[in-house]
Amino acid sequence: MSTTRKRVYGYLAEFSSASALFKAAEKVRDAGFSKWDCHSPYPVHGLDGAMGMKRSILPWFVFCGGTLGLITGFSLAYFTQVEIYPTVVQSKPANFFTIPAFFPIMFELTILFSGFTTLFGLLGLMKLPRLNHPLFASRQFHRATDDAFFIAIEARDPKFSPEGTRRLLEDIGGKSIELVEEED
Amino acid sequence: MAHHFVTSADIPADGERLVNSKVETAKRAAGGLAVLLGLLSFYLLFMAPAKISAPFAYSWLFAFFFFFTLAVGGCFWTLLHNVSNSGWGTSVRRVMENLGSVFPWMTLFALPLACPNVQQWLYEWMNVHREAMKNGGDIFDGFLAGFYGTESMKKALEADHQALLVNKQWYMNQVAWYARFAFYFIGLGLVIRALRKFSVAQDSDPNPSTKNLFKARFHSTYTLVIFAITITFAGIDLLQGMKFDWFSTMWGVYLFAGSALNSMAVIIITCTLLIHGGYMKKVVGPEHFHIMGKLLFAFTVFWGYITFSQFFLIWYANVAEETSWYLIRNTGGWNIASIALVIGHFAIPFVILLQAWLKKNPKLLSVMAGYTLVMHVLDHYIIVIPERSVSLYAMAMSKVPGAESFAGVTTAVPGAFWGDILAFAAIGSGFLFFYLRALTQTAVYPHRDPRILESANVSN
Repeated sequence: MSTTRKRVYGYLAEFSSASALFKAAEKVRDAGFSKWDCHSPYPVHGLDGAMGMKRSILPWFVFCGGTLGLITGFSLAYFTQVEIYPTVVQSKPANFFTIPAFFPIMFELTILFSGFTTLFGLLGLMKLPRLNHPLFASRQFHRATDDAFFIAIEARDPKFSPEGTRRLLEDIGGKSIELVEEED
Repeated sequence: MAHHFVTSADIPADGERLVNSKVETAKRAAGGLAVLLGLLSFYLLFMAPAKISAPFAYSWLFAFFFFFTLAVGGCFWTLLHNVSNSGWGTSVRRVMENLGSVFPWMTLFALPLACPNVQQWLYEWMNVHREAMKNGGDIFDGFLAGFYGTESMKKALEADHQALLVNKQWYMNQVAWYARFAFYFIGLGLVIRALRKFSVAQDSDPNPSTKNLFKARFHSTYTLVIFAITITFAGIDLLQGMKFDWFSTMWGVYLFAGSALNSMAVIIITCTLLIHGGYMKKVVGPEHFHIMGKLLFAFTVFWGYITFSQFFLIWYANVAEETSWYLIRNTGGWNIASIALVIGHFAIPFVILLQAWLKKNPKLLSVMAGYTLVMHVLDHYIIVIPERSVSLYAMAMSKVPGAESFAGVTTAVPGAFWGDILAFAAIGSGFLFFYLRALTQTAVYPHRDPRILESANVSN
């Protein structure tokens, strides 16, 4: 007989409605937890505030990406058409003041680079793509895409304790509280 | 996020009214100044020698169209708010309506532009038409009383070798011009008055229901078309008409972009001042400023996009008829102003308004809104004023008495700058008077609107 030791992911608790989830989230936030998340079938307005989430740093990535795109677009057009191979089109001068002709490519690359940084920055920050998530081990969790509202508090949170966290979740109205263990 | 949830108990049953001695003083001062400077302007436009009245006609057109865009933009935001059925802006809707309600009064300032005495300096094509009238050209004749031009006018213009004006006679004739001119002010003016009436009637309705709201929504739909016609063709008739041989297919949307942007700037500044004075604190918060800031940002980008597209197509195609507009504005001192516009009207506000925290701060956002308005002054200055010298040359050719003395000599009329300031102050103080008057007439927000609580608790 062999026993397998499973790593504990954390507690999962179900809430009856979006407003119950909202109020519970405020209490979990006030209890000082940092590694936890809410799961709801649809977006709940103001939940990010109730969870005490800070503003994402993604916009700064996108700003840098966009600026890089702008500079790339300008350099690409300027160095090829003015410096390396001066191109005279429609008797426009081949110098810096031809810049209006470069605006479309500068604009397009700004958009493209911003779009790329948004997508890949978002995936990076969310640690996606991944093949599995420990919460999928829970039998009830699939209902998060249907009709149930969940709060999951992770075991790696410094404030986590097997009894205390369970009691907290009970106190704030969590039902079907489950200790989720990671699958092999 | 844990802010106080606004309930109907927080909203005074009779609404908040703007009762403030400072506002009263400002209103009276603005009204007095408007009368004083208005009379002075009247003298300069109609009784002063041509040497003064000709440059001042351009000053008047510049100042008029600047404030016209603000008022017409107020109409636009009211219409858009109603027709999009939006809930967020109910608490600032009255400010939009009040800004729009200045629009009918703009007729007062537009009237000089309908007088041949002023038109002779601004619109060369009218001079040619009036000259042609002496050679047998009729203005009222034929189909729809000359709305599409007349045969005899066509002959007279042909005899004058004005092929372009013959081709454009279906649009550029005096009957159609005056008909459109009347339509701009009557059409949109009546609707904005009615919309404001619906909104104000709700405030004292003993049985507040959705009736007025739905009525306003219905009437806003087709009025958006009237609005689009007004801003587009008023821009073509009053501004593009200064140069009848020039055309830009993006003219209307270019003016609209500036109009929507800067009326939003006025709305933002008004809301900030009202909150500073202790009004509408319960119903307008950082979230509203965030939304309005986003609209300000969006229209900054839109303005940049449209303005650049207009320039770009003309610059790249390099067609003589089209480039004449930019030829004046992109040479000499005007070029510096044009480049300043690119950086100051687009690049700087674009980067600054990217920040979300700034848009949530009413004071900082108002500073940006004020800055945008200053850039809008520059924008409209560059639209109107460079025409002052060049087309006067043509008028000197058409033998208008008095024009010979300075036209064709210099590209800048010495001392005319003071006229620009005077006209701006005259129409500006009049605008301020009617705006403050509208603000003090009714409650500062529609306190009995069914969506006022939704608006007060908005989050985005």
